[in-house]
Amino acid sequence: MALAHETRPELRIAGSKLPAIPLPPACPGCGVSLDADALRKNNYVCDCGHHFRIGADAWIALIADRGSWQERWGDVRSHDLLNWKVPKPYQAVIEQLMDEGLNEAVRTGTCTLAGRPIWLAAFDFRFVGGTLSIVAGERLARGMEQAASSGLPYVLISASGGARMQEGVLALMQLAKVNAAVGRLHAAGVPYFSVLTDPTFGGTAASLALLGDVNIAEPGAAIGFTGPRVIKQATYADLPAGFQSAEFQLAHGQVDLVLPRTELRRLLAHLLEMYP
Amino acid sequence: MTRHGRKPDETTLSVWQVIELARHPERPYSLDYIRRLAPDFVELHGDRLSADDPALVGGIGTWHGRTTMFLGHQKGRSLKERVARNWGMMHPEGYRKAIRLAHHAAKFRFPIVSLIDTPGAYPGAGAEERGIASAIAEAIMEWFRIPVPIVAAVIGEGGSGGALGMGVADRVIMLENSIYSVASPEAAASIVWRDNTRKVEAAEQLQLTSRDLLAMGVVEEVVTEPKGSAHVAHDAAAAALDEALHRHMQALLQQPTEELLQHRYERFRYIDSLVHAEPQFGPKV
Repeated sequence: MALAHETRPELRIAGSKLPAIPLPPACPGCGVSLDADALRKNNYVCDCGHHFRIGADAWIALIADRGSWQERWGDVRSHDLLNWKVPKPYQAVIEQLMDEGLNEAVRTGTCTLAGRPIWLAAFDFRFVGGTLSIVAGERLARGMEQAASSGLPYVLISASGGARMQEGVLALMQLAKVNAAVGRLHAAGVPYFSVLTDPTFGGTAASLALLGDVNIAEPGAAIGFTGPRVIKQATYADLPAGFQSAEFQLAHGQVDLVLPRTELRRLLAHLLEMYP
Repeated sequence: MTRHGRKPDETTLSVWQVIELARHPERPYSLDYIRRLAPDFVELHGDRLSADDPALVGGIGTWHGRTTMFLGHQKGRSLKERVARNWGMMHPEGYRKAIRLAHHAAKFRFPIVSLIDTPGAYPGAGAEERGIASAIAEAIMEWFRIPVPIVAAVIGEGGSGGALGMGVADRVIMLENSIYSVASPEAAASIVWRDNTRKVEAAEQLQLTSRDLLAMGVVEEVVTEPKGSAHVAHDAAAAALDEALHRHMQALLQQPTEELLQHRYERFRYIDSLVHAEPQFGPKV
């Protein structure tokens, strides 16, 4: 058996080539015009440190060893339960997003990372703001239950506005459903690594995203419970620069590390060696 | 009967009228119920870390001959008390106090009654700085490990994660004119329309009345309120709540702990099983 340190230096920053994503002409961080190919090879992190938002497909390509991804429960689909009509019919919203090739706000499955089998779940902010829905909760809870019984480490990538309004109180109940499953992961002694990306808010922050054994945040990511707009509306407070940033959450004891996306895969591989 | 189970003749109130009753300033609050259920109630304060959150009251009282842990969101009656109680909106310290008292109850095998009445967790900068998201997350996870029976009742407003942080229980019941929602109608309007004046439209879509939740299988029972709603007859409302809470608690006290915790897990794990028709979804409980 090869020792871990023999293989680690070869580990790439991404498991396979990330998909192309729509990009603005210039980086919002530094204003310099973007080289799409170079950016893509750098996990969509600009030289200035700005991290572009990426979808679940890109996260899977980034984390999973090439060819190792096996998606689970991709056929479980959302539908309109509450007959939600305004401002847009919910059923039409879902169908349009599916037509665009997206598959719910959470995708989950198994893969290997540096040869080690793991469970992986990634939120997709493009699907109704990455909101926690019944289907998202179901995919998360099922994967966690299987990880708890098989002992495979669980890796979560979050990017979410919270619970999905259009599924009403049943979306809220997903917090309890998923946290119950997180409790089983912890009780089973299974490592759970949670990566918080921009943005992670509301019910997602108030449930699984901050319950990792190790919480890792991306530089500059906005993370919190109540969004700044609502805080200002409710309290008329002036919020300081950097409020609810990853660095703010690090200073306030909510995350273990703030880590650039270009180093994430290597750190996860290292953690997987240290938490057997 | 509509798709969601409300018979038109059951209530003549609009959704917004129900919300106004749920928020009525004369509506009984947690302490109004707790002092009627357990006149010897002793309040216990503090999270043992840094603070006491007055938006959540907790303590022990003798209820039907058994020492019971009572927890409840507390709104204020006067303006001064409303400010002191923060309108029943908890800070992180409140969730930490709740879990501290839940462990206290577990040590002595006291059953737990949790009364829910909050617009939501406090949406302020200080709450964010002190970790409101992780406080709620930890509380929701921890409730699944508390090895004594828990009955929760929504007595007024059940707003969002702030309510659910106190709402993981073996049975959850609602007073007739109470509401329970993923977000307050104002917040939902602000999120969906970016305009919180669309609150009535949001409320009508959210399906947040007690009958809606019963039809969805999210709560076990709706407790009928006295004629004219709870605010006109506090004693009668308390008597109705007492009867329902006690009936559920009696059943739970018969269950072995392992079974109790397994059922609590399954209650929430399959809480959405009534509403989706897809056969690939999980087992029905």
